[in-house]
Amino acid sequence: METVPPAQEQTQLPSNGPIVAAFVSATIGILVLALVQVATVMSARFKDTVFEVGKAWIPGAEGIGPSSGKETFMLAAWLLSWVGLHYTLRQRELPLRPLFGVALAILAVAVFLVWPPVWHLIE
Amino acid sequence: MTLLVLLGVTVAFAGLISLVTSPVAALLGDSRYAIPDALHGVTAILYVITATISAYLAYRLFFNRLEDLRDLRVIASLNACLSLLTVIFGNWIYIYYRDKGGPRGYFLETRPVIHEIFFEFKEFLALFTLPIAVATAYILLRERNDLVRRPWLPQIVAVLIVCAWGRLMLVFGLGAAITKLRSV
Repeated sequence: METVPPAQEQTQLPSNGPIVAAFVSATIGILVLALVQVATVMSARFKDTVFEVGKAWIPGAEGIGPSSGKETFMLAAWLLSWVGLHYTLRQRELPLRPLFGVALAILAVAVFLVWPPVWHLIE
Repeated sequence: MTLLVLLGVTVAFAGLISLVTSPVAALLGDSRYAIPDALHGVTAILYVITATISAYLAYRLFFNRLEDLRDLRVIASLNACLSLLTVIFGNWIYIYYRDKGGPRGYFLETRPVIHEIFFEFKEFLALFTLPIAVATAYILLRERNDLVRRPWLPQIVAVLIVCAWGRLMLVFGLGAAITKLRSV
């Protein structure tokens, strides 16, 4: 069993900004994927652009189709926002619980947006 | 490490029994897409196993009853790796799913709702698990024992793990269903 050494108990915790950056950037990536999906349903031209983005770097993207581009947007939004937020928030102490609540709400919105009957409403 | 040893022994035993009792060709099937199909299926099954173990540990973490975080750190890291591999192999099999004469064309002609719900919705939920699994593993690896010293962080990590697990179970169920309806 791992136990916390007494000396460590008394040390001050480092700022929690990087923790917030990790889960907030994950939700940003997920939300961007959902928004890109909605946008591709609304615009055939945007769908083609998204497909071109996927074809630029994913092996076999020609066969995968526009999903390759949607994945690319998700990865780019997630990883870039993670790097940006990490460096912006690394020295900051933030309220974890409300921020996590917002992140959960964004996740729920993303799931709602990728539910097929929702696309049909906006088509 | 007890859980990991148990997991390793269980997987090795299942693999040994499968290899001894059935010819590999029959195990993979006779489809020309058998290899990507098998890789996607195996990684998904392994991911379900590790994610389920992590969900149990997360339940204990949520109620501050998990004293040893090492197992959870290792399992969460495995979850992140398996999520990535499942997505990569999923992309590979998707090429065959969309191929001429593949299941997609069949579903779009006969029952488009199957393609939309069982496949497209499932695909998005599967992608959602990757950032969540990686963020969870990162937090656990970064914080180590500090995790339990921060107010609300054990609960946040536990909820993230259970969120990813819930999505994975839904995705796995939909994926298994679609292979029963028409496989590649």
